Amino acid sequence: MGHKRYRFLGVVAALMVLATACGGSTPSTTTKQYKIGLVTDIGGLNDQSFNHLAYVGLEKAKQDFGIKDDVTESKSGDDYVPNLTHYASLNYDLVIGVGFLMAEAVGTVSGQFPSVHFAIIDGAGTDSKGNDLKHANVESLFFKEQDAGAMVGVIAGWLEKNGKAKKNQHIIGAVGGISIPPVDHYIAGYRWAAKMEDPQINVLVGYSNDFTDSAKCKTVAQSQVQQGADILFQVAGGCGQGVLQEGTQGGVYSIGVDADQKTADPSVIASALKKVDVATYTAIKNVVNGQFAGGALTFEIKNGGAGYAIDNLTVPPELKTELDKIQGQIQSGALVPPSDKTW
Amino acid sequence: MTALSDILHLLVTANLWQATLAAAVLLLLPALGGVVSERSGVVNIAMEGMMLTGAFFAVVADLALHNPWLATGVAMLAGALMASVHAIVSIRFRADQIVSGIAINIFAAGLTVFLINRIYGLQDVGHVTQSELLPDIKVPALDQLPFIGQVVFQQNVIVYVALVLLVLTHVVLFQTRLGLRIRAVGEHPMAADTAGINVYLIRYGAVITSGLLSGLSGAFLAIGVANTFVPNMTDGRGYIALAAMIFGKWTPFGAFIACLIFALGEAIYANNSIIHISQYLLSMLPYLITLIVLAGLVGRSIPPAADGLPYVPGSE
Repeated sequence: MGHKRYRFLGVVAALMVLATACGGSTPSTTTKQYKIGLVTDIGGLNDQSFNHLAYVGLEKAKQDFGIKDDVTESKSGDDYVPNLTHYASLNYDLVIGVGFLMAEAVGTVSGQFPSVHFAIIDGAGTDSKGNDLKHANVESLFFKEQDAGAMVGVIAGWLEKNGKAKKNQHIIGAVGGISIPPVDHYIAGYRWAAKMEDPQINVLVGYSNDFTDSAKCKTVAQSQVQQGADILFQVAGGCGQGVLQEGTQGGVYSIGVDADQKTADPSVIASALKKVDVATYTAIKNVVNGQFAGGALTFEIKNGGAGYAIDNLTVPPELKTELDKIQGQIQSGALVPPSDKTW
Repeated sequence: MTALSDILHLLVTANLWQATLAAAVLLLLPALGGVVSERSGVVNIAMEGMMLTGAFFAVVADLALHNPWLATGVAMLAGALMASVHAIVSIRFRADQIVSGIAINIFAAGLTVFLINRIYGLQDVGHVTQSELLPDIKVPALDQLPFIGQVVFQQNVIVYVALVLLVLTHVVLFQTRLGLRIRAVGEHPMAADTAGINVYLIRYGAVITSGLLSGLSGAFLAIGVANTFVPNMTDGRGYIALAAMIFGKWTPFGAFIACLIFALGEAIYANNSIIHISQYLLSMLPYLITLIVLAGLVGRSIPPAADGLPYVPGSE
């Protein structure tokens, strides 16, 4: 019974939208409640990282726009297509997929539901070979992770050059999860900026091949500490907890990723921020305002979509000056952090 | 070729073997649990779920009680509770033990995420502080031994506990009357029953022991290696432990060697920042080693005769 009534209301709402759309200049006093479906990656909402941030953006949009929000957590890669299809078949106004790994699923489902809007964090709707299908109903939310990586790279390089790190052997490390573009962008920016600050620096880059298992990341971090690295940048989501942990146990500094990880471990001196909440919110706002457009939106330092946070570190004024200088130059386009994997 | 020399160079470092032992212990504990359970005739593939449950409750308890030892106890109890579900289903109700095990693994994955949401909302689970972690302990004097000192005597407290449990499990299974009874129940329950051994009691005890050990491993992972719970953080270790148990021919030391081999591959891979080879190729190493060992060294593994068969009194 209830179902039918909702369906009826849905039809009414749709007609009203149509009416206002036809009216053209009619002010948007529509009572339509937008329905937004969020499908997380396998990290789930409690990943303390980008899935969680996507949810934060969704909640903010809910407060501001009164949308109806629904979330489904994917338990494995096999869940992506059914989860996306679920919301699409219910005619949600926007279906958001979180994460690069969902690109192919978004490509498939967006092709089957051309009238439903999709947004995907960190990717595009692709075919099985990773080619962008350029569906008009897919908005890709990309980040210049290299911007955020560069800022923490400045911190790491500056500390090494000025002898303010723990061992000061001009060796720092980065532990990536899997070598996928978002991860490698972070590391590329980090490496580039650290070398710019301290030309003698040696940046060790390792991968854990995993995004959830902190034990794996910890052993990679341990190996880097044993090689003399005294600042470790984790780019591995939940797995990276092991890197931050090794920060304290190995007596070195660590750097968090995506969200501000200040409380994750006392060794965290800074975090590279990727504002997935801003991106999610923007995608929803675009739908609500009728400004949804297929194609790519890029979030970077310039538009506040990427940045850094200082955590458990007292920043010397000289470093602060340097950070402001570099950030300004990236904003103005005078410096362009690289995104290519060259290691 | 540089990659090969990189690896050979690594193999003579104590660092590598220290990491190998720590990683092996995470597998060894559930593998020992599996050995005990299956020796008594109950197939147990639920170590993954029991370990995950243990990891979760270790963090919850540690955050609440600020005491890693109590938290470890809670984790072991949580593992045992999951195990007792498996025990009741497969011993009392004689259900298919594989299905029951899979159900527990799936249930644990869902339960932990559900409970996070209930307890912490969508916030961080929270992080255990340094003083609330299971500590690393250097054994005085012994830790100064060349090579072995670093590999064996500079480890987390749970590593020592696990090594003691390894010896203990071996001794109990093969040198004591209790062990004889466990094995008898797993090989020929009716004969054991006729001889006056309580088949059900032995099996319940063995399955619950596997829960205690898996829960301990979960605690080590969550509040020894890491300092928080991340969904699915056990990442298949319970299944690898299962494989180690089979490679080890259902013996504690056999399982331990298998765990070391798996862990060695993992530890070598962890050095991919200094090995000059594609990390993708390197990531195959643990599995490559497994294949070689499996094909070349292990030979045929034969499970206990009554493994997986529910015991119905009075029937063969």
